[in-house]
Amino acid sequence: MIKYHAGESFLHKLDPRVKIIMLLILTILVFVTRNFPVLGLVFLLIMICWKVSGISIRELGGYLKLLVGLVLFVVLIQTLFQGGETILISPIIPDFVPLIGGMGSIAVEGVLFGLLLGFRLMVIMCLMPLIIMTTRVRDLALGFVKLGLPYRYAFMITTALNQVPVLQEQIATITDAQKLRAFTAFEDGGTLQKLKSYPALVVPLVMGSMKKSTLIGTAMDVRSFGSRPKRTYLHDIAMHGADWAFLCFILAFCAGMFTLNVML
Amino acid sequence: MDEIILDVFDASFRYPNAPAYSLKHINFQVRKGEFLVIMGENGAGKTTLCKMLSGIIPHSQEGVYFGDVTICGLNSKEHTLPELCQHIGIVLDDPESQIFTTEVLDEVAFGAENLEIPTDEIQRNADWALQVVRMAGYEEKDPTRLSGGQKQRVAIASALTMQPEILILDEPTSQLDPIGTIEVFQVVRELKEKYNMTIIMVTHKSEEIAQFADRVLVLHEGEVLAMDTPQRIFRNKEIVDKAWLAVPQVSMVAVELEQSGIPLDAFPVRLEEGVEVFSALLQETEARI
Repeated sequence: MIKYHAGESFLHKLDPRVKIIMLLILTILVFVTRNFPVLGLVFLLIMICWKVSGISIRELGGYLKLLVGLVLFVVLIQTLFQGGETILISPIIPDFVPLIGGMGSIAVEGVLFGLLLGFRLMVIMCLMPLIIMTTRVRDLALGFVKLGLPYRYAFMITTALNQVPVLQEQIATITDAQKLRAFTAFEDGGTLQKLKSYPALVVPLVMGSMKKSTLIGTAMDVRSFGSRPKRTYLHDIAMHGADWAFLCFILAFCAGMFTLNVML
Repeated sequence: MDEIILDVFDASFRYPNAPAYSLKHINFQVRKGEFLVIMGENGAGKTTLCKMLSGIIPHSQEGVYFGDVTICGLNSKEHTLPELCQHIGIVLDDPESQIFTTEVLDEVAFGAENLEIPTDEIQRNADWALQVVRMAGYEEKDPTRLSGGQKQRVAIASALTMQPEILILDEPTSQLDPIGTIEVFQVVRELKEKYNMTIIMVTHKSEEIAQFADRVLVLHEGEVLAMDTPQRIFRNKEIVDKAWLAVPQVSMVAVELEQSGIPLDAFPVRLEEGVEVFSALLQETEARI
C-alpha cells in the first residue's frame, strides 16, 4: 500500500523539502530528456534510493501490476501509431482482410518512442511512491508550506494521499458486498464483463465519497480550517548538514544529467 | 449553575429544496455546567439542531434560517465559525470523517494549529485532552488503525484541545460496539463531573444518560416536544410513545406499576434507584401482608 512506512533510513530522516525538490527536478529531467542512458542513470539512482530506504519495492503490491500494465500499454500504443521512416513491419493488417487490410505499419522510430515514453513513465512512477513511503504526511505538508505553497494546497495534497488507503478499503467493501449478492464479474468475468461491471463499483464509490467529503468539509469547518492566513505548526522541520549535502548531490547529479543529455 | 451559556430563540431551519422545515420555532436555554441530552426519533431534527447550536448553520450549511442562537454571548449569525469554535466544540457521529492526519497528536492539534495558538500551549492542551480521553501514550499512533471507540475519543480530544466551554456530541456512540460506547460515556462522565463542562449530547442510550443527564430535550418532527428532567420525561408515557423514546428498563417497570395503580415513593431512572424504590415497595407489601 502506498503510504508512509516508518523507518530509520537516511531517506526517512532526509528533510522533506530536499525530497520534494528531488521529485520535481528529476521529474523535469525525465520529461526533458530523450536519452536512454540518462533515463537509465536516473532509474539507477531511484533504485539505489529504494535500497537505502529499506522498503521492498514489492510493498507496492497492486500498484506494480498497474505500473507494468500501463507501461506495456503505452509502449504498444506508441509502437502502433507513432510511425516513422525506418519501417520494420508493413502492413500490420494483412491485405486479405476486407476494408482495413493493408493498413498500419511499425517503424523503428515508433518502437523507440514507445520505449522512451514507457521508460519515462516507469521512472516517475517508481520515484513518487518512494517519496510518499519515506515521508510522514505531516512532514510532506510542512515541506510544501516551507517551500512557499499555501497550506490550503499542501493540505489538499496530503488529504488526497490520506484518502488513497481509505478509498482502497471502500473498494474492497463494495466488491465484497457485490460478491455476497452473487455479482462476481469483477474477479471472474472477462475484460468486457469487467468493463460492464464498473458502474456497479463506481456508482456506490462516488456516492459514498461525495457524502464523506461533505462530512469532512463540515469537520474541517468546525476545526477552523483556513480561518486565518497563517497557522502554527506543532512540529517543525529543519535542514541539517546531511540534508544540504544530499541536496547538493542531487543538484550536481541533475546538472550532470542535463549536460549528458545535451552531449549525447 | 444559573449562568445561561447557550440561548436558542425562535430558531427555524429548512434545507435547500426541502419541502418542509427541519426545525420549527425552537426555544430553549442551557445553563453553564449543564448536561443536556437531545432525544427523538429518526428525522426529528437532532443533527440539524446540533449544526445550529455549533454555528455550522448558518455558516457552513446553506438553507433558510430564522431566529437566533447565542453561544457564550455571541450571536451565531454575527460571528464567524472560527470565533464560535473557540467557545463550542462538536463531535460528529462518524469518527472516520473527522480524521485528517496520520498521527493522533497531529489530529488532536489540528484545530488549535488553525487558530494560530502558540505551539507550547497546543502541546499542553493536547496532552491534557489526550489524558482526559484516556488516550495518552497513543500520540504517534495512526488514528485510522484505532478502534471505533478510540477514534471517537480522539475526536473528543480534538475538540477539547480548542478549549471550548460547550461540547456537543452528535450520537457519538451510534457506530460503536458496547465496549466503545462504555469508553465514550466514561469520558463524558469525567468531563461533566471533574471539569464541570457544559455538554449537549444526542443519544438514544437512555440507560447511560439516566446516570448523569440534568435535562432531556425531546424533539419530534422538528419541534421541541418536551424539555425536563429524565425522571419526568421517562415517566410521561404520552411523550415516550409519541417520540418513540427508549426508556431505561427500571423506568419501564415503574411506569407499568404506576399504571397498575401501585404508587411509588420516587420514579427511578437508574438501576440503583430502581433497587431502592422496588425494595421499599416489596418491604411495604410484605409488612402489609
